Amino acid sequence: MSVVTDPKTGLIDGPVHDRLAALSRARGWYGWAGYAAPSVLDTVEFEYFALRNQCALFDISPMHKYRLTGPDATAVLNRLVTRDVTRIRPGRVGYAVWCDEEGMVIDDGTLFRLGAQDWRLCCQEPMLTWLIEAAWGFDAEVRDESDTLAGLALQGPTAFAVLEAAGWDVAALRPFDHAGLGEVMISRTGFTGDLGYEIWMPWADATAVWDRLWAAGGPWGLRAIGYAALNIARIEAGFLTAGVDFQPVHATERLHRGKTPFELGLGRMVDMTKGHFNGRRALAKARPRSLLMRVDVEGFKPAQGALVYHRKRREVGHVTSGVWSPTAKRNIALAHVALPWATRTPPDLWAEIYTLEEGRWDTRMARLTPVEGAFFAPQRARATPPGRT
Amino acid sequence: MSRFDAIVIGGGINGLVAAAVLGRRGRSVCLLERSDRLGGMAGAEGAYPRMAHLLYNLGPLVRKDIGLGARDWPFRTVALPTVALNPGGAHVRIDGTEARFVDGRPHPDAAAYRALVTRLGGYGALLRRLAEAPPPGGDAAWTDPAALKQMLRLGGFGRALRQMGKAEMRGFLKVLLSNAYDLILDELPDGPLAGALAADAVRGLAMGPRSPGTVFSLVYRHGHGGTVSLPVGGMAAVVAALAEAARAAGATIRTGTAAARLLCEGDRVIGVETGAGEVLMASRVLSSAAPLATARMAGLDRFDIEASRRMRLIRARGTVAKINLRLSALPRIDGLPDDLLGARLLLAPSAEAVETAFNPAKYRQMSDEPILEALLPGVTDPAQDAGGAVALSIIAQYAPSDLAGGWTDAARDRLLAAVVGRLAAVAPDLPGLVAGAEVLCPDRIEAETGAPGGHWHHAELGLDQLLTIRPANGLGHYAMGLAGLYLCGAATHPGGDVMGLSGRNAALAALGDGP
Repeated sequence: MSVVTDPKTGLIDGPVHDRLAALSRARGWYGWAGYAAPSVLDTVEFEYFALRNQCALFDISPMHKYRLTGPDATAVLNRLVTRDVTRIRPGRVGYAVWCDEEGMVIDDGTLFRLGAQDWRLCCQEPMLTWLIEAAWGFDAEVRDESDTLAGLALQGPTAFAVLEAAGWDVAALRPFDHAGLGEVMISRTGFTGDLGYEIWMPWADATAVWDRLWAAGGPWGLRAIGYAALNIARIEAGFLTAGVDFQPVHATERLHRGKTPFELGLGRMVDMTKGHFNGRRALAKARPRSLLMRVDVEGFKPAQGALVYHRKRREVGHVTSGVWSPTAKRNIALAHVALPWATRTPPDLWAEIYTLEEGRWDTRMARLTPVEGAFFAPQRARATPPGRT
Repeated sequence: MSRFDAIVIGGGINGLVAAAVLGRRGRSVCLLERSDRLGGMAGAEGAYPRMAHLLYNLGPLVRKDIGLGARDWPFRTVALPTVALNPGGAHVRIDGTEARFVDGRPHPDAAAYRALVTRLGGYGALLRRLAEAPPPGGDAAWTDPAALKQMLRLGGFGRALRQMGKAEMRGFLKVLLSNAYDLILDELPDGPLAGALAADAVRGLAMGPRSPGTVFSLVYRHGHGGTVSLPVGGMAAVVAALAEAARAAGATIRTGTAAARLLCEGDRVIGVETGAGEVLMASRVLSSAAPLATARMAGLDRFDIEASRRMRLIRARGTVAKINLRLSALPRIDGLPDDLLGARLLLAPSAEAVETAFNPAKYRQMSDEPILEALLPGVTDPAQDAGGAVALSIIAQYAPSDLAGGWTDAARDRLLAAVVGRLAAVAPDLPGLVAGAEVLCPDRIEAETGAPGGHWHHAELGLDQLLTIRPANGLGHYAMGLAGLYLCGAATHPGGDVMGLSGRNAALAALGDGP
């Protein structure tokens, strides 16, 4: 169910396209849900280091956003996702995954509880028809806010200071809190594993909000960034990208391309005690076939796309995301590895990395060392009130 | 609060059979019927038939499993000949495989008809192996005794298929999924004889004889030799016999008691709350209500989103209206000897006419010239005439459940006029004899029985809703996902037609015990 862009229409402008276009020295655009989104505005290195050392502004408006309201809205969501959403209090945001009847992950996203029966779901894949299907027979309304609600991600150690300078006091927001501040809603959420906020506002207000942040951000090293820099940060944080680290099952055509939450390392997101939810019966019976592992890759060549071998002989998986982490100073990757090889000790897993150096292809076997937890998880991401630098 | 091993929801044919089968296997059973009358679509006030009026496929297998022994049903049945009426021409009398004109003259197509019907009977015997058993497949490991049994049965089906001989097997597989119209007209010239077969192929279905899959439904109808019989004492006698069997097996039958809610604990059903708020506990609940209605009683949130979508999309577009006329005297039918007045009278002058009658139904209109199956039950069984009046029981097709504008009084009157007008073509004195009429359109049938769309089989017998995918993918094995909850109505394999096999198979499935 990926978004198909009509070639006649081409990519369309997002809410802050004017600002992005003016900053785009690299002129690198890619299609994100039909919108022209920057992959790079300046250089990946500048943008990445701004994100990790100062702060960065990234337009997340192309994300799909859905509003669920009505007396049964909470029941519908609890039927949809694998975690118990009643434990997400109003004013809080929760990460969630949802599965098809076979327990295969359809997508993941964040759930904003705006009121007792008022929710917003933000996710990567188009989900309107599925949500309508989930809500059928329930007293709940599903509204697609994808092209009416804009979002800007302000991420990095000085993000709090920028908001403060812009006149928004978010000192009291703990991670995964959200609050309305005048015309905008600000949540302490993000896709970088660092201190960061997401600012949500009506589509038409996005440029004004951008300008307000931009004016305040100068002294704090604020930079606009594209997806390439963000992607490094999210791999460091160990976050998954739909379509890369797992195949959203509704978008697959081949059999058995789906993964269960357990196989994606998201077992903690599955609450088998909360009552029925979609795919529960299948998940109760499911035995994991593989595991999505975080691994440290020997050497410095990114292992993106490499096949994974056990004892350099048996092919047991592949790397879905691999990158040199400038902050962790490690060559890191996420890899699907079949069981039982994923859990053997010693692991004896190897990535076969293809390299192209000035016209010469080569392969090398790089040892993979499993890593527990995120590659990068700074204290400052959790401190409340947050620091300014 | 009472406690049972099993609760059966719905006291139609399948519900009664399920209760009897469970009771016979030593389970304590309580059957809940929301109306005051048992029988569902086969139910009747007194002997006079109301909806269903004849038996096609009520087989000895059900009788054995509900404990009525190997002998016979406790009611008498009279096999009826079929008369294919031919307005303005010679009517054709059909007895099983034999066709001749009603005046005794041989029919020129008798041999072709015999060959075709014999062939259909052969296919029917083959398909019956599949119909009587729960549909193949399922999650069980192949070493599981039930799965092993199933494989043997499938093996038996394959062997029987092979034993047909190569040419015949090829023919079977070639026609099985195709349309009845082509099959019939390949062998017979179009006319009342072909029309009778075409009408039988589509009765109760939202299909015309040219629709793919109608060969299957024709074979289905001929699954037990194609004999049509009238129960003496009416459908009420059939229902009474089944209810008696259930009671004899120890089942408690409660009419006027609707199941309002299914009580669940964790991922299993633990009982039923009635409309009056009474709680009945049971570890198994078998529902002959529609799948979606059953799911709603438990709460849709107990079912996967895909499952509720499939239940919502089950095709159940009823196309049959039941018209019960009271006549002041027996009608005279031109060219029909009096001794054949008690026959099953089919007014389907040709296969073409059946298809033509279907055309308006595609666009939510009723047929201008409906196809009729008419019966004067009192001729054979005087008890079935209502209070001095002659009963004429008519199944009229097509009267789609989703009629544009709805089934208003005017629409019902129009249908009645069309039906009476049609009959007047063969029985000119009939309109003058009508002393009373009851028109049961699909909306009424649905309201009274709960069958979605007032559909005969609760779910269309289409190729997309058969066997393992009847009534829908994932529901093909009577279980509904929620542990302890089973479907036992006609929506499940093999379907309706006053057959009881759905109820029997569901009961066996609930017992965790393949046949």
